[in-house]
Amino acid sequence: MRRLENIGLLALPGLTFLAVIFALPLLLLLLKSFQIDGQFSLEEYRLFFSDEYNMSVLWRTLRVAALTTLLALLIAYPTAIAMSRANGIWLSIFLVAMVLPMSVGVVVKAFAWSIIFRTRGVLNDTLMSLGLIDAPIRMLFTETALIIGAANVFLPFMVLPIYAVLRQMDNRLPEAAASLGATPVFRFFNVTLPLSLPGVVAGCAFVFSLAVSMYVIPSLIVGERQQTLSMLTARSFLFLRNEALGATISSILLIIAISVVLGSSWLANRLGARQ
Amino acid sequence: MTGTDRLFLVLSWTIGLCCVVFLMLPIVITVAASFTSSSVYTLPPPEWSLRWYQSLERRSGLWEAVTLSLNLALVSTAISLVLGTLAAVAVTRGRFKGREAIATFTVSPLMMPGLVVGVALLQFFREIGLRDAYWSLLLGHIVITLPFVMRTLLASMSAFDFSLVDAARTLGLSYPKAILKVLVPNLAPAYLTGGLFAFLASMDNYPISIFLTDARNKTLPIKMLQYLEEQPDPSLAAMSSGLILMAVIALVVGARTVGLNRMIEG
Amino acid sequence: MQSSAGTEPDKRAYLDVVGVGKAFKGTTVMSDMDFRVARGELVSLLGPSGCGKTTLLRIIAGLTSADAGDILLDGRAITRVPAHRRNISVVFQSYALFPHLTVAENVAFGLRARSVPKSDIAPKVNEALQLVRMRDFADRPVSALSGGQQQRVAVARALVVDPVLLLLDEPFSALDRKLRETMQVELKSLLRDRGMTAIFVTHDQEEAMGVSDRIAVMNAGRIEQFATPSELYARPRSSFVMDFVGLSTRLRGRVQKTDGTTMQIETANGLVLANGALGVGSDVTVGVRPELISPCAGENTISVTLADAMVLGAKTQLHGVSHTDDRLLCEVPGIQTTLTRGQDVTFGWSIKDTLVYEAHR
Repeated sequence: MRRLENIGLLALPGLTFLAVIFALPLLLLLLKSFQIDGQFSLEEYRLFFSDEYNMSVLWRTLRVAALTTLLALLIAYPTAIAMSRANGIWLSIFLVAMVLPMSVGVVVKAFAWSIIFRTRGVLNDTLMSLGLIDAPIRMLFTETALIIGAANVFLPFMVLPIYAVLRQMDNRLPEAAASLGATPVFRFFNVTLPLSLPGVVAGCAFVFSLAVSMYVIPSLIVGERQQTLSMLTARSFLFLRNEALGATISSILLIIAISVVLGSSWLANRLGARQ
Repeated sequence: MTGTDRLFLVLSWTIGLCCVVFLMLPIVITVAASFTSSSVYTLPPPEWSLRWYQSLERRSGLWEAVTLSLNLALVSTAISLVLGTLAAVAVTRGRFKGREAIATFTVSPLMMPGLVVGVALLQFFREIGLRDAYWSLLLGHIVITLPFVMRTLLASMSAFDFSLVDAARTLGLSYPKAILKVLVPNLAPAYLTGGLFAFLASMDNYPISIFLTDARNKTLPIKMLQYLEEQPDPSLAAMSSGLILMAVIALVVGARTVGLNRMIEG
Repeated sequence: MQSSAGTEPDKRAYLDVVGVGKAFKGTTVMSDMDFRVARGELVSLLGPSGCGKTTLLRIIAGLTSADAGDILLDGRAITRVPAHRRNISVVFQSYALFPHLTVAENVAFGLRARSVPKSDIAPKVNEALQLVRMRDFADRPVSALSGGQQQRVAVARALVVDPVLLLLDEPFSALDRKLRETMQVELKSLLRDRGMTAIFVTHDQEEAMGVSDRIAVMNAGRIEQFATPSELYARPRSSFVMDFVGLSTRLRGRVQKTDGTTMQIETANGLVLANGALGVGSDVTVGVRPELISPCAGENTISVTLADAMVLGAKTQLHGVSHTDDRLLCEVPGIQTTLTRGQDVTFGWSIKDTLVYEAHR
């Protein structure tokens, strides 16, 4: 590599492409949502936020995303710990369980969950044959079903960053803590947990932004009855032909996504600065 | 090891194994449901049968959707690999300001809501007068695939010790030969994993594609959701099982050639 | 310096490792290991990598469990006591400082783990940092420290909890040579002043000789010899110890004749006389320390051609090669310039300085 000054030019094709086909459209979308007939205006946002139904959808979307992230974290953290200590065949089992579902599409998995949660579906049949319930309970179209399904789909994105951090952690650190008199509980809360926080932040940011904007999973599991922001966007574009509303909601989703990215990288930097 | 240590260990392994089961559940259920003889989803099926696989032939538009999806995935991944290689070399080898920012920017589509990108592209293409559905879809799918490629290429190129190329040159290899013999073998795993995940992401994409299709150009995920609304019989489980088989093949190829552990890096 | 008077029959044993064995995945790395350390003693475990010295250290610390045997500390069995209740501090090779904590927080860690009242922690941390001359760095993140500074923090962190025993795993290996020597002197006097009992694990014989009262030379999971540095150097008990501790010239030979006190050993370079009483016909390894060889004469002599004369400052090394291609090493004090490469010389040494070991195999 002789002319290192000019090597930067190699980035131009890719950068130009993303600038024109990705950044510019998003920017235009954002700009347009603040305009009515070419004039700066917050009218669309005022309309959106003053509508009680819209607000309930916004609230539901955020609540579902937060609960999905929480559920995924609760399952993922212990899993990542077990995984970071696993070797050989067990590690392979864990890795396959992460990579295979990631490679299978969202459409397939969301469809599978809709089979599982059906009133005459797999879960109800199982529960009834075990005698745990007498009559099928309604699961499809509930928020709980949505959260479980979404957590399932996004789980690998929570486990893998935490696993990566734990795997990299110096094994001597918990040992040093033990030799200094720290009990296992003290060790966990004062060494392992704080050191794994960057992975937790990355995982939560990823899962939350995926969950806020998920579309396929709620359409298959809860359907039209309980709208989310994404479904409302799609509906306003594809069925209602109310593009102004769609553009506004898209911009809100975009602003949420950007805040999550900025917020998490700020947090990660703060955590990183101490390490 | 104390009792508390053991409790921690047992707890994390129990949850970990439950997590494995939980993750595999939808895949196993789908495959099992696809072999049913009944026309509703009951498990275990009353009788095993291949009838839903046979019924796929009669599904109108399925083959067109499959070929369109494969076409988009292959072409967009190939273009992304070219654009990605150039950009990754520039970022890891160049000496200019803002390299970090460029790296973040090229990976950022991963963090943006797909639906919003779809909406934005829809409006943008309309404004510039791009009406062709195939070209719209292809451009959209490059936005999907490029960050996957960038992520793995950036990770493995910045980990690559470029003095190895110099070492090979002092040992008598010409510059192109040194690149071929030293750099390429070291980056091959990154190309494979980045390419695989990009391909699968394109195959699976719904939220961007839905805004860019027309009546004649429908990708597989869009077609599947449409079938689900029109006629939700177990033939959908059969289609899904086909996609699962594709993912399994990708996984086996990846695990065999680069190893599972490297597949999740980057 | 030795332990205070006690009532037990063996008052010298403060740490007593009895019959410890350990296997990893079916491979025995240590069996029936006995090892005793007196109170206030500084001891080194010296050996090549893989000899089991770190395993022994980890077993004493409670970080690895022994398959067999017992660990006694001050007469009390601690074999089943978990690491965090042993009050044995460890300084790790990589120092294992907590990257998310500052210097002071690292030092305070053990005190917080022991639930020492907050008001007592600060003065103790201060004192410990003072001891290692790191008080000005108290609020720095540990990643901002140099290797030597990190080591000082690790030592302060280990000592602030008043451990009953201090274990150090290759504590100097990450430091450059100059700094290493300074830190060795500093640490040794620090431990002496506090009357601390400490065990160093190292593969560096100079380091072991510099810091310890006694050295246990380990090989393949066994202690070959446990003695003071001078004893180890002057009277190595095996050819392994002779090779591992200090430089030496080795020759192969066979005992030809013995009169009970002196042996005549046949080597490719002629007869060599040595003290000892090995059986006639035994294959032996003969060794001589380089500074005991004189480049002119002695009771045993071998003619060599000088392959090199290296002036090292305080001493000059003469590398001789005999007609059988055996290499002999001679060291003379000061700068020696009269002997040069290519010259023929006679290397000689006295009978009492000849070390003889039965050859393996």
